[in-house]
Amino acid sequence: MKKDPKKVRNIGISAHIDAGKTTLTERILYYTNRIHAIHDVKGKDGVGATMDFMELEKERGITITSAATYCEWNDHEINIIDTPGHVDFTIEVERALRVLDGGILVLCSVGGVQSQSITVDRQMARYNVPCIAFVNKCDRSGANPMKVVEQLREKLKHNAVAMQIPIGLENDFQGVVDLLKMKAIYFEGKQGEKVRIDEIPEELREEAEAKREELIDAASMFSDELMEAALEGEVTEELLIDAIRTGTLKRELTPVFMGSAYKNKGVQPLLDAITRYLPHPGEVENVALDLEKDEEKVVLESDPEKPLVSLAFKLEEGRYGQLTYIRVYQGTLRKGDFIVNSRTGKKVKVGRVVRMHANQMEDIEEIPAGYIGALFGIDCASGDTFTSPGIRYSMTSMHVPEPVISLAIVPEDNKSQQNMSKALSRFSKEDPTFRVKVDHETGDTIISGMGELHLEVYIERMRREYNAIVHTGAPQVAYRETITQKADFNYTHKKQTGGAGQYGRVAGYMEPFDGEFEFVNKIVGGAIPSEFISSVEKGFRSAMEKGQLLGFPVTGIRVVINDGQAHSVDSSDTAFQAAARGAFKEGFQKAKPAILEPIMKVAVETPSEFQGAVMGSLNQRRGMILGAQDEGDTCVIEAEVPLSEMFGYSTDLRSLTQGKAQFTMEFSCYRQVPQNISEELIKKAQEKKKKAA
Amino acid sequence: MEKRRELARSLQSGPGSSNNIIYLRERSITMLKRELILRNPLSIVKTEDKEPLKEGQFGAVLAKAGVGKTAFLVQLALSNLLRDRNVLHVSLTQPVRKVCLWYEEVFHNISQEYQIKNTTELWETILPHRFIMTFNKNDFSIDRFEERVNDLTEQGIFFPQLVIIDGLDFDEGSRESLTELKILAREMGFPVWFAITVGPDEVLKKGTLPTNVEPISDLFEILIGLKASKKEINILLLKGEPSKDEENVYLDPSTLLIKDRK
Repeated sequence: MKKDPKKVRNIGISAHIDAGKTTLTERILYYTNRIHAIHDVKGKDGVGATMDFMELEKERGITITSAATYCEWNDHEINIIDTPGHVDFTIEVERALRVLDGGILVLCSVGGVQSQSITVDRQMARYNVPCIAFVNKCDRSGANPMKVVEQLREKLKHNAVAMQIPIGLENDFQGVVDLLKMKAIYFEGKQGEKVRIDEIPEELREEAEAKREELIDAASMFSDELMEAALEGEVTEELLIDAIRTGTLKRELTPVFMGSAYKNKGVQPLLDAITRYLPHPGEVENVALDLEKDEEKVVLESDPEKPLVSLAFKLEEGRYGQLTYIRVYQGTLRKGDFIVNSRTGKKVKVGRVVRMHANQMEDIEEIPAGYIGALFGIDCASGDTFTSPGIRYSMTSMHVPEPVISLAIVPEDNKSQQNMSKALSRFSKEDPTFRVKVDHETGDTIISGMGELHLEVYIERMRREYNAIVHTGAPQVAYRETITQKADFNYTHKKQTGGAGQYGRVAGYMEPFDGEFEFVNKIVGGAIPSEFISSVEKGFRSAMEKGQLLGFPVTGIRVVINDGQAHSVDSSDTAFQAAARGAFKEGFQKAKPAILEPIMKVAVETPSEFQGAVMGSLNQRRGMILGAQDEGDTCVIEAEVPLSEMFGYSTDLRSLTQGKAQFTMEFSCYRQVPQNISEELIKKAQEKKKKAA
Repeated sequence: MEKRRELARSLQSGPGSSNNIIYLRERSITMLKRELILRNPLSIVKTEDKEPLKEGQFGAVLAKAGVGKTAFLVQLALSNLLRDRNVLHVSLTQPVRKVCLWYEEVFHNISQEYQIKNTTELWETILPHRFIMTFNKNDFSIDRFEERVNDLTEQGIFFPQLVIIDGLDFDEGSRESLTELKILAREMGFPVWFAITVGPDEVLKKGTLPTNVEPISDLFEILIGLKASKKEINILLLKGEPSKDEENVYLDPSTLLIKDRK
C-alpha cells in the first residue's frame, strides 16, 4: 500500500435510484483495471455488476448495502463507497457520507434533479462533503444535460458549471468537448477504453467557447490570479484547475461532467476530475470528542504517526465471520496491534486487515490515516470508535432517525426461529435504524424500521441469507401518546397485607411540554425524602413507556411534584416508584390524553397532466399538501401525510399515473390524530386486549 | 395551614377547576394570535372592514431587490391565515421548500420577539390554510395558473381566498395577462397581491410611480412602496387611501418584521 495521503481520495457515489450509480462504479473499476469484464446491473449474463453483490440487490436492480472498494487512477488511490439510492435506506447513505471526503452526485440526463437527489444533496450538505456532478445517460432519448446543469442551480442551489459539452445526444451521443483543454474527447474500442483526443467539431466551437467563458467567469471568483489572467486573455489550464478545486472544496462551486456509463463514454475524464477536484483526507477537518475531557472537541490530524483514531462505519456478516469496515482518521491501524473500543472500553487485538473490492478482498498489513479498509474478528457495533490505548476519543455521533414503522414476525418452525434470532441480532448491529423487540403481551417479535421497503428487504435477507422463513403481520405504525392540558395528581400507594408494608404519596401536576419529558422537583420541607426523589422520577419514566390509550410510549410531558408523604418504616424505593406510576395514571387520565401519529414528508414527482389526480390521492389519504412545484412537463407535489395512510401508496400511484410518477417519503414529525380516528384506534386496541385476555 | 395548602393546590390545578383562572400559556397564544392579526401590514390603508381588497382587486408591494417584499407579503399572508382565510402563495422564483422556510422564519421571529414557546399548535392550525404553488418563470401563464387552481378547487382540496404572486416580471406586455388574471380573480373570488421589483435607480416617493408600474397602475387598487433608510425600512402608501396609522409602521431591517412606532 502506498502511503501518500495527498494521493488518496475517499469518495462516495450518491444519486437517485436508477440514475446509474452502480453501472458507473462498474465502469470505473473496469477502466482502473480492478475488474476485467463488465456486467450490467440487470445483466443477462446472470453475473450482475460487481458492486451489487447481494443476491437481492441483483434481483431488484438496486444497491442496498454500501460496499467499499478501491482502485487506482493516475497514481492516485481511490476508495469508493457505493451508496443506496432509495430513501428507506438513507442511514446507509448517511453513514457512507460520514466517512467520505468527497462525493459524485450522479444525475440522469433525462430525469434531471429528482426528489431523491434533493434528499441526497441535503445529506451531503449536512456532512459538508464537497462534490462534483456527473450527468449520466446522455445516450437516452430525451437527454438534455445542460437542462440538468440548470436544475442543479435552480433546484439544489448549487453554483453548477459545465466542464464539458456533449458531442451529439441520444442515439448520436459520441463524446464530450473538454472545456478545460478545449479538445474533443471520443471513447473508442469495444469497451470505450481507448480515449481519442481530437479537435472540437466546427459546429460546436462557438458553443464551447461560450461555455468556457462561463466556466472561467465562475472559477475566477475563487482566484484573483485567474481573474487577472482572464482579463489579459492568458488563462492557463493549471490556473483554471486550481481555482475550480478551491471552489469545489469550499462547496461553493460544483463542476459538472457528462457521459453515459452504460455506453462507456465520459468515465475516464470523470476519474481525472476525482483526482483533480475532490479533496484528499488531509484537506478535510475531522473532529473527535475527547471522552476524558467532557467531550471536548479535538481536531484530528491526518498523520499516520499520531495515536490511532478510527471509525467502524459498517458491519457485514462475511463468509469468515464479522467484517468491520473501518475508516482511519489519524494514526495507523496495523495487524497485530491492540486497539480500544471507546464505547465499551474493551481492548482487542487486530487480526486480519483487508482491503475490500466489493465481495473480494486483499490482505494488507496496515491501514494508514485517511484510508478505508476492513477488519476481521472484531466484535463491535456500527458507529463504534477504535483508538490506540491511552486515548479515549469518540467520533461525533451519527444522526440516527427513530424508526417509524413496525411489523410483527413469526418464524415458521423451530429451525427458522433459531436462524431468525441470529439474523436479527446481526441486522440490528449493522443498521441502527433497524430495531428488534419482543412484545411481552403477545410474545410476538416486533421489528421496526424506516419504511415498508426497509423491513421487506430484511425479511427477504432473513430468508435468503439465513434460511429463516418468517410470516409477517400487518405493518404497525409507531404511535405515541401525550396529554393536551394540565392536570393534577395526588396518589397514595399503601399496602399493608402481611410482611413489610409499602407507603408513599406523590402529588403535583403534569402539563404539555415541547420536548420528550421533563421532571421538576418542587418539594419543599422534605415531604418526600430526597433519597426517594429519583425513585419517583423512575416511576414516572416507567409509566411513560406504555400509555393508557393504545399502549404506546408517552411523550411531551412535564411532571412537577410539589407535595407528598413518606412513612418512616414502610416507605421504600419500590413504594415510591409504585406511587409515581399510580400518580401518572391518575394525572394522565385527567389531562385529556391524545394519540400522536408519525407524519411523513412525501414528495411525488409526476408528469403535469396527473397533477390533479395525484393531489386528489394525497388528499384522500389525509394528506396536507404543502405545495406544488411546476417544472414544465413535470411537477413535484410536496405533502405531509400520516404514515398509516401511506401503505400501498406506490401501487395506487402507479395505476393512477400509468407508472410515470414516483415518490419519496421521509419522517417529518409527530402530530395529533383526529378525534374520529383516535376513537377507532382506541376501540381496536381494546378489542385486541380483550382477545389476548 | 391546611386551608392554605388547599388554596395553593387549587391554584395549581388544570383548567376546569376554576373559571377565574387565566392560564399564562393559553393567554400568550391568544395574545400572539391577536398581535399577529393586528400587526397586519395593511394597517396603513384605510378600510371599512378587515379586507382592504375585494374579489378581483389587485394590490402590490414595490421595492428594489432585497429590501423585503417577500417578508412583507408573508406577514400579510400570516395575518390572513390567522383569521382562517385560505392563502395561495405563488412563487415564480423560489422552490416550495424555500417559500415554506420564509413562513417558518417570519413566524419564528415573531414568536421569539414575544418570547412565546409552544407555538407548534398555533403553527399547525394555520398550515392547512396555506397552499404554495411554484412555477418556472418562463412557463408561467394565466391559463396554466387557472388550470392548477381548478385542480385544487374541483377536488375540494383548497379554495383560495387570497392569492399572493411573487416573482412576476412587470413590463409593457404585462397589461394583457394582468387583465386576464383580474377577470379570473373576480370569477374565482379572490384578491391578488404582487411583489414588484423596481429598477435600482428608481427613487420611491409619494406622488410618483416607478416607470415599470406607471403604465399599469390603473389595474391596482393599492400600491405600497418599501424604501430602505439608515435605520429602518419605510412603508409608503403610493396608491390607496391612507389610515391614521400610516406614519407609524415600518419594517425592522434586521428581522424584516413590521413594527409600530406607537
